[in-house]
Amino acid sequence: MSVLKLENISKFVRGYAGSGQLILDDLNFEINIKEQANYVTAVLAPSGAGKTTLLKIISGVEEQTSGKIFLQGEEYKNAGGLVPFIPEKASSFPWMNVAQNIKFALELKYKAADAQKLNELISFVGLTGYEDHFPDERSLGFRLRISLARALAVAPKLISIDDPLRNLHGETKKEIKQLIKKIPEEKNIPLLIATTNISEAIEMSDEIILMKKHPGKILGIIDLNRELISGKNQKYIEEVKQQITKSFAEQENSQLVSDAGIK
Amino acid sequence: MAAAESTSKRIPYFLITYLVLWIALFEFVLPINKILPRPSIVILSFGDLWKDYRLPVNFLSTVTGVYFSIAVSYFLIFFLKSILIKKDHLIIDFITSLNWFSRYLPGMVMGLFLIYWFPFSAWTTIVFITGVAFFSLASKFGTELNHLDRAYIDSAKSLGADSKAISNKIIWKSIQRNIADHILEMHGYLWGLAIIFEFIKGGSGLGSIFKQALNYNDLSALFSVSVITAVTVFAGFHAVNFIKTKFIHWN
Repeated sequence: MSVLKLENISKFVRGYAGSGQLILDDLNFEINIKEQANYVTAVLAPSGAGKTTLLKIISGVEEQTSGKIFLQGEEYKNAGGLVPFIPEKASSFPWMNVAQNIKFALELKYKAADAQKLNELISFVGLTGYEDHFPDERSLGFRLRISLARALAVAPKLISIDDPLRNLHGETKKEIKQLIKKIPEEKNIPLLIATTNISEAIEMSDEIILMKKHPGKILGIIDLNRELISGKNQKYIEEVKQQITKSFAEQENSQLVSDAGIK
Repeated sequence: MAAAESTSKRIPYFLITYLVLWIALFEFVLPINKILPRPSIVILSFGDLWKDYRLPVNFLSTVTGVYFSIAVSYFLIFFLKSILIKKDHLIIDFITSLNWFSRYLPGMVMGLFLIYWFPFSAWTTIVFITGVAFFSLASKFGTELNHLDRAYIDSAKSLGADSKAISNKIIWKSIQRNIADHILEMHGYLWGLAIIFEFIKGGSGLGSIFKQALNYNDLSALFSVSVITAVTVFAGFHAVNFIKTKFIHWN
């Protein structure tokens, strides 16, 4: 089943005095859910390749200069509520507590927030007991959990997440990885994740879209064998890494984050 | 932060020291002087203030003027927020132009024109203070809008929020706390402007008591009204702060 299809998506940003920059150049790809796949698609690219812009366009936050987007086979112009976008800083609203943040999204979808749905979402993201806590000055992991619950509240067709693991470490990173994986598994909602980290892209996704920068353009799409990755088949994982590195090397992209997370 | 907290904790000790020094110096050591009045005379002068200087009416006039103006300007910003968000609106150009003028022409000078145009109107003070407060808040709103974290709007938009929900529940809520902080910052300034305005205009208000006291060379009345003003500004600041923490909180 086709979840998302992009046809000739380009984004040009006009600057001062007639100047401008092409951010995305003629992007074409399709996300098809295959049987027994969870479905997470990673957009892997160096910083500045337009990953965030791409996610924003898919979520309806920004408009493309040209091209068409199809969601489950239907073309759409305003994706409001269909593809929630979670920014890198996981912007849960600091003036609302955990419950209010999720209620905000539930009310957008259903006009009124159902207490059972609210509690179920809070429990799903592991925030039971923190309903009246405010996200301001809390950890990024905490705010990401709120943003994920809020995104799930609108019963989306797809969720786009911008580099969710970038600023997380240790136990929190592990927990958030598990939570993200749980979404397609238990809620049957596919995810589109932007990342700069090769290992994380392989570990988290079923399919990787490689992008180059200046302008952002698709280099290739790699279908991953989930079973081999889950079984920690190092030979296969290394082969995929080499394939990715080779693709980027060919494009002379040196800014990609390496396995060790070093720029 | 900790240093500021410990300083504010020490302030009552300073106040008590000043009070003791004032009583000791001006009641016993220098009872007759032109610097500060005798404490015993100040206590007696409260009765005169009540009667001769019409303290209740003048006090209520200034307090109403200041807080009514703050409330009106706050709600004006609240109701105009959907317009203020649009950066190319005529009202924005108007506010920007007045802010530009105010850089070179102090607001008090505009106040003089108001006094000239409406010398006997009781509303002039309110109009003047509301004007000053509104343009200051509108300017603050514009600055905050420029520094607004776009990620909040992007998130809300992607969740399906329309422009009204984004304006009311995201942009306003995000800016509201800083608007309230700005009211606290300009609270003392607005009090000062109100008193100077009333002083120049005459009629009613604490400013006119100051004027009368100076005309009568009444040092004890001048001192008493200063104390009353300080206590009221202090109480007002904490009342506004209480409203802010009670209704506009992020934690």
